[in-house]
Amino acid sequence: MNIQYKKGILELCVLSLLKRRDMYGYEVSDFLSKQIDIADGTVYPILRKLKADGLLSTYLQEGSGGPPRKYYSLTEYGRVSFEKDRKEYMLFAKAVNTLLEGDQNEKK
Amino acid sequence: MKKNEFMDLLIKELNHKKVSDSSDIADEYEQHFSFKMNDGFSEEEIAAKLGDPVQLAAQYAADDEGQLIHKGKGIKAFTVFGLSLTAFVVVLLFVLMIAWGIAMVMFSLGCMVLAAGLISGYEPLLDVVPMPSQSAIIFGIAFIALAILSAAACLYFSAFVRQLLRAYGRFHRNTMAAADGKPGLPSLALFPQLPSRGKRSLRIVSLVALLLFTVLIVVGAIISILKADSLEFWHIWNWFGK
Repeated sequence: MNIQYKKGILELCVLSLLKRRDMYGYEVSDFLSKQIDIADGTVYPILRKLKADGLLSTYLQEGSGGPPRKYYSLTEYGRVSFEKDRKEYMLFAKAVNTLLEGDQNEKK
Repeated sequence: MKKNEFMDLLIKELNHKKVSDSSDIADEYEQHFSFKMNDGFSEEEIAAKLGDPVQLAAQYAADDEGQLIHKGKGIKAFTVFGLSLTAFVVVLLFVLMIAWGIAMVMFSLGCMVLAAGLISGYEPLLDVVPMPSQSAIIFGIAFIALAILSAAACLYFSAFVRQLLRAYGRFHRNTMAAADGKPGLPSLALFPQLPSRGKRSLRIVSLVALLLFTVLIVVGAIISILKADSLEFWHIWNWFGK
């Protein structure tokens, strides 16, 4: 699949994960790479971009031992923006599904 | 690819493409390696799953260009200016608080010395404030209680000042980090977080000392009144000049 295209959808997935609870970078990467076939490393640039766009904020939290972890949290703007993009994507995906499934039916 | 090769290549590419905060980015990948290595993966496996460092760096660079991440230098200068003004006042405040703490320690030591003098019947002291030995001993013990009370207060006060210093340090660091667009640590409580046992024993010691001081001063005064056979025993014993 086209990388740019996949990236946009991955942004939605990251936002959806962080809507449930705050996570540190590795948690997001680990969760997503188990669900979707992507290189583990691609999640980190996405997190940084979403933060620069103001959709995410970060804070440090001292865990049990080791250096403090950088947690990502959805901002209010991120929440609103995610709801809007989610609806748009669902409509779009539904339309594409109908279209592509129709395509297959014609072939039969 | 080994971890070092991966990290070196990534950092080199990030710097080459002039991506800001390359050390922050490198930290994320360092942590990724350590998490995965804890799970038993080899460095080569992890690096392979992460993807090509050159491509990753390119992704960062593209994002930077896309949105022109500019960090207002003016805003940072403003923050630094404000913080230095605050620091000026705060440092004065802390100097004042530390001076007050030293005064309290002195007071406590003074009480102790006075108590020792009264109880042992030190002549030069009893020449100034003559009194029978019963009164002297009771007043002496009262001053020991006062010394303990003020020592407990000193202890709490020093914990308070220390916590306030730490909280202010954290605030200072976080404000600077925020101006740099970096994440901050959670802010600290303003009051000392003493362990509950320590807090309880400090409170009990203070209360007992306060009670003892009050009771003994009253008892001492009553005994003195009886001994001197006058309500104003200090005049009878010529405490304030003959």
